[in-house]
Amino acid sequence: MTVVFNYTGAIAATIRRDAAIFASYRFRIVGQVLAMLLTLTTFFYIAKLVRPDAAGPGGDYYAFAVVGIVIMAVVTSALSTSHVVQMELMQGNFERMLISPLGPVGGVIAVAAFPILYATLFAGLMLALAAGLFGIPLHPLGIPPALGVTLLAAVSFACIGLLFVAALLAFKSALGAAWAIAGLSLLGGAYFPVMLFPGWIRWTSEVQPLTPAVDLLRHVLVGTRTVQPVWLELAKLGGFTAVLVPVSSVLLWWAVGWSRRRGTITEY
Amino acid sequence: MRGDAALSTGAVVNESGYPAAVEPASAAALVSFAGIWRHWGRGSKRWAVLRDVNLEVAAGTAISIVGGNGAGKTTLLRIGTGILAPDRGDVSIDGLSCEGSWREYHKRVGYLSAGDRGLYARLSVRAHLEYWARVSFMARADRKPAAEDALIRFELAPLASRRADRLSQGQRQRLRLALTFLHRPKVLFLDEPRNSLDADGLAVLNTAVSELLGRGGCVIWCSPVGEEQPIVFDRALIIEDGRLRSA
Repeated sequence: MTVVFNYTGAIAATIRRDAAIFASYRFRIVGQVLAMLLTLTTFFYIAKLVRPDAAGPGGDYYAFAVVGIVIMAVVTSALSTSHVVQMELMQGNFERMLISPLGPVGGVIAVAAFPILYATLFAGLMLALAAGLFGIPLHPLGIPPALGVTLLAAVSFACIGLLFVAALLAFKSALGAAWAIAGLSLLGGAYFPVMLFPGWIRWTSEVQPLTPAVDLLRHVLVGTRTVQPVWLELAKLGGFTAVLVPVSSVLLWWAVGWSRRRGTITEY
Repeated sequence: MRGDAALSTGAVVNESGYPAAVEPASAAALVSFAGIWRHWGRGSKRWAVLRDVNLEVAAGTAISIVGGNGAGKTTLLRIGTGILAPDRGDVSIDGLSCEGSWREYHKRVGYLSAGDRGLYARLSVRAHLEYWARVSFMARADRKPAAEDALIRFELAPLASRRADRLSQGQRQRLRLALTFLHRPKVLFLDEPRNSLDADGLAVLNTAVSELLGRGGCVIWCSPVGEEQPIVFDRALIIEDGRLRSA
């Protein structure tokens, strides 16, 4: 039990550390809120151009798009973990993490935690603003299940982020992280229904966790109908998470071992 | 040499005719490097930076390893800390291997890398100490006293609330040393620790090393050839052509 407390305590301390560093840039959050308001406003007017039923029967495209925007904030943060680790490498802090009892894998998870947590909180703020200022029909009763879905989705996306960290450690490049973010937003239907895809490419929306995550969030938060039954969407998201956790852990350990043997683990 | 040295040091000629292994007559080594080989590069550009290095360091012992630039000092220390894996050979600390018990192994290790990196620019001195105490898995009751003790021992108390990017180079080095000693490691790997330290800083370091040796720890201190040695070592070794020999 002490071991578990040690790991969770070290991860919590890293979250506090990153929060303190983040808070030291006093105007950063102001800029982020302004950027968020501009995005919400832009989509508010784009939604006026879109047919009312574009997001499905009874759907509201603006609410549909806002949920996509907020989940993409979490996705972007999770898939950018390799960038955070690269910064730690460049500052020489990853080396210190590496030789601590927390170790390289624990260290990577620890440095990934704050950005994902922050993006999730920021997404919540964005939703609240969209409801307060632009009147999206947010269902208050949907908030608790939405938190559960977001947690499950965040773990799933974090695991994809760890795959890019593994690539960074092993090959000194996390090429593809930016592509993956753009690709997920396209194939996961962040901004439009995946039903618009031609049949030959629609399968791509079935082989990643964003589609069920965003579908479920839209369902519980703004009442959009899910493409498939809720239980199936949940099972898919859970299944992706169940597969990605061990796969990303194993690959990250492999990358650590490989780069220790090659002598490149602290290079950047 | 330290007068209380309990070990005798002798260079041993190995099969290849080099005086490679420096093996003191010690049954209970705290740190053991056994048959360490490490290469850099690949294919025709591959060369051995460490060749069959054997080294045992007993508790309460400080050893100095000097060598020219690129001689392999940092590589040896990084292998000791587990940052790098050797191509061949084994390292153990307190009988533990890095691969077998990462957590317990690293609870025993303190490492000061060369240079001035490894600090968070916008984090205060105290926040650094409290953070790394947590990451080092120190017991809750020990963390705050250890941070306070480090602030005093490394003369950082007046700078406790100052951000790392507002410290001088010497002050940064004292903070890096404080972080290295913070969790009371048994084994210290110091890579060019004199970096930017003034006379007071060296005295502080000397005291911290003596205290560690006094409680049964050991120190491996690497420095470039020609650098004045500020403390008295039990053994002085030279690393040359990838091999260790007595100085």
